Amino acid sequence: MESNKMRITGSLINAFYICPRKAWLLAHEFGPDPENVFIELGRILSEETYRREKKEIVLENMKIDLIKRAKEDVIVGEVKKSSKGHHAAKMQLVFYLYQLKQYGISAKGELLIPKEKKKFKIDLTQELEGELKQTFLSIKKTINQTQPPLPKKSSFCRNCAYKDFCWV
Amino acid sequence: MKRTIYIFSDGELRRKQNTIYFEGEKGRKYIPVENITEIMVFGEITINKRILEFLSQNEIILHFFNHYGYYTGSFYPREHLNSGYMILKQAEHYLDNEKRLLLARLFVWGAIENIKKVLNYYINRGVELNEIKENIKNLQETIGDCKNVEELMALEGNARDYYYKGFDLILNNPDFVFESRTRRPPLNRLNALISFGNSLLYTVILSEIYKTHLDPRIGFLHTTNFRRFSLNLDIAEIFKPIIVDRLIFTLINKGMIKKTHFEKHLNGIVLNEKGRLLFVEEMDKRLKATIKHQKLRRNVSYRHLIKLELYKLEKHLMDETCYQPFIARW
Repeated sequence: MESNKMRITGSLINAFYICPRKAWLLAHEFGPDPENVFIELGRILSEETYRREKKEIVLENMKIDLIKRAKEDVIVGEVKKSSKGHHAAKMQLVFYLYQLKQYGISAKGELLIPKEKKKFKIDLTQELEGELKQTFLSIKKTINQTQPPLPKKSSFCRNCAYKDFCWV
Repeated sequence: MKRTIYIFSDGELRRKQNTIYFEGEKGRKYIPVENITEIMVFGEITINKRILEFLSQNEIILHFFNHYGYYTGSFYPREHLNSGYMILKQAEHYLDNEKRLLLARLFVWGAIENIKKVLNYYINRGVELNEIKENIKNLQETIGDCKNVEELMALEGNARDYYYKGFDLILNNPDFVFESRTRRPPLNRLNALISFGNSLLYTVILSEIYKTHLDPRIGFLHTTNFRRFSLNLDIAEIFKPIIVDRLIFTLINKGMIKKTHFEKHLNGIVLNEKGRLLFVEEMDKRLKATIKHQKLRRNVSYRHLIKLELYKLEKHLMDETCYQPFIARW
């Protein structure tokens, strides 16, 4: 695998915080079980919510759920089913903000959880940018390995689309 | 869980307003696209490109059977789960003789284990199958001596010959005698059932392969010729005894399938439409039936068991855990 060329994406960042094994699998194009109901739910959630906002912007290695303008600011929104994995979702947004900054766009982030009627504002601070850069290094190290990290049981396993694959 | 749709009548299969629509002589029907994984076509249907595109988009496989119930082929939509990594791993284990032989041995070993389970069930019910089981066991012990895949195939064939001799003892029914294994065409009713059941199983496994990253064209026990599907044949060895053969015994012993469910054609015998309908229905029930999975500690259907088998194979190919075939517990 030519992992040096492997592109970091938002979902890869999210996955890595939740489970390094999941990140490895994703990075090796090893997509999740298409029959998993939570995958389906996620797809429906993104189709059915925030219909009035601009939806799904694809920019190089970013697939942003929604983008809107509020006065001077560009706001990037990421839609999630629940606030479980909050930090992972937050860092996914931080990644988008960081990428946009490289383009010279200063944006703000919003983590949106329609089911819980919650909205979290996220700004790209120096501290978060530092953490993101550290994470880049850790991800590269993980996905450069020839084998995936062994499965580790966590509370995320229960609804994970890889659970049967990992634990059978 | 997603469903399988079976089409027995003649008609036209079309895309209509983002769903599938079937119009036949017996009526018209909408088939909800979200809920199906495959369509098995036994009737004479007309299709167009629009429906094929739509099925491909929705990752639905179309399996065709001809007038006599023989498998014709599948519309296998472009791969939606592409992993260059997995294809390379699969090819590596095919090209490396030692690696390929290991997998082929495991398939044969697992198949024989499951055959022994079936025999044991009837031995416990007083059927005199001990000698047959002993012969099969002796063959199983020489799996390690096979130096290549051809020898393994031959060994498996011999084991099956012994096993099929046991069918007459298990069934003890003059309407369903085994005589010898005949295909294309099957020469008696029991052979017709075995052929039909096996081809159904092949298609089901093919559909499950489609949901993984494996390439169905690269098998390990069955030789790849790069045009035909062969991985599904490998996996089928494990499941034939516990899914197809057990179903056949149930259908015959409970008197569900009768002489009237067969018809003569050319030189052979095949199931007629009624017989096929019955078989397909019972097979579907069996695939949906669940058992407690020892490792996952929850109930899984036989169909899901097939997918789990593919997962284990993937983990073997990526050198994570050595493949261990599914062995029925009873």
